[in-house]
Formats: sequence, C-alpha cells, structure tokens
Amino acid sequence: MSDVMTAPLAGDDAGMAAGDLLVMLRHGPHGSSWLREGLEAAMVAAAFGREVGLLFTGDGVMALLEGQQVGPLGQKGSDNLLAALEMYDVERCYVDAAALRARGLTAQDVTLLPVTLLEHDEVVALTTAFSRVLSF
Amino acid sequence: MNLHLLNRSPFSSRIHDDVLNAMGPEDQLLLIEDGVNGALDNAEQHLAGLEGRLFALREDLESRGLLGRCAENVIVVDVDGFVALTEAADKTVSWF
Repeated sequence: MSDVMTAPLAGDDAGMAAGDLLVMLRHGPHGSSWLREGLEAAMVAAAFGREVGLLFTGDGVMALLEGQQVGPLGQKGSDNLLAALEMYDVERCYVDAAALRARGLTAQDVTLLPVTLLEHDEVVALTTAFSRVLSF
Repeated sequence: MNLHLLNRSPFSSRIHDDVLNAMGPEDQLLLIEDGVNGALDNAEQHLAGLEGRLFALREDLESRGLLGRCAENVIVVDVDGFVALTEAADKTVSWF
C-alpha cells in the first residue's frame, strides 16, 4: 500500500481535507424520504457554516442518474435538491465507485452533479477526515 | 400461478432470495417501487431464472430515470399491465 493511502488524515493535505459533517446517502429516490432528508440535513449544516461532504453509496448512487421524474404518487424525487446544493456551498460530493459498479453503472452515468469517485481505501479516508458522520 | 410483488431493491436487501425461494415454476415476479432497481442490467445475477416471468412497473422506472437502463429479459408494464397480471394470477403475494 502506498504512503499516500496509509497517511493519517488529520486534515492536512496528505489525503482528504478535513470537514465537519459527512452525510452518507444510502437510499435511492422515491422509495422512501431518506434521500431527501439527508440532502436537507446537508444543506442545513452548510447554511450554518459547517464544512459538509456528501457520500453517495449503496442505492444512494441512483440519485445521480439523469432523467428522473415526479413519482407516480406525486413524490418529488431528489434531483431538484441536488441542483440546490451548490447554492448552499455543498461542493464536496463523492461517489462510492464499488456501488456504481455493482449496479452496472459508470462515471458516465453520473451526470446530475460534479462528483469524485472513491475506491474503498478512499471511502475509509473520507469517513476518517470528517469529524461527524450522519447516515441516511 | 401466483404473482409476486417485490418493492425492495436487490442491492440493499436479501428479500429477493426469499421471493425466489417461494416462487413456483410458473409464478411471475413484478418489480415495483424500489424493487425496480432489480431491472438494471447488473441485477440479473440477483434475479436469475425468470425468463419471461420478470416484470417491472413502467411508472416507477420512469420516475427513477431507469426506463432506458433495463436488462433485456425484463418486461416493462404500466399500471394497466399490473392490473392484467393481477387478473391472470390466482393470487398475489407481496414482499416488502
């Protein structure tokens, strides 16, 4: 394992920059309100001046696919919230590359948000770099 | 012949294993709500052996942006198709 990957991550530039709150999004749009609530939590924290990161993992990666619509029961979905993230200065968005691969998706399928793809070691580094983690 | 309804993503739960275990050779499976994630190309490994008996609800695929990303063996039906499948089945079994 390289030095870069094993470097301790105390907020120096050895790896991931430090942050206050990492919001992990593990649910896809429409089926539940987890995804919307996670995005809202991220925006609230950012509005209070916290350094916020978003990690799309598990079915949460489905939030990043183009072509989403209002649900058959009128559910709002989450793409409108994604569009608002930049306004709240939530700019550190990450995607679990393994979760994409498991679903047969690639970086080309991620079009709704500029994101950084992370492999396992980097996901670990990310959770280390943020002082708090909320899971949605 | 029974119609099984699954509303959980095969990537985030193992319920589909229970469904497959409970399905007879003629039974049909309709994916609804988050279950439509199982229509993705790469989900075939989770829902194998259902050629001609695997359906997914169009409305839920559309809202998730998945309509153009389905595996070839998935038959897309709308709500009217849902009703037709229900009519044709002896009974429906919900998995959630």
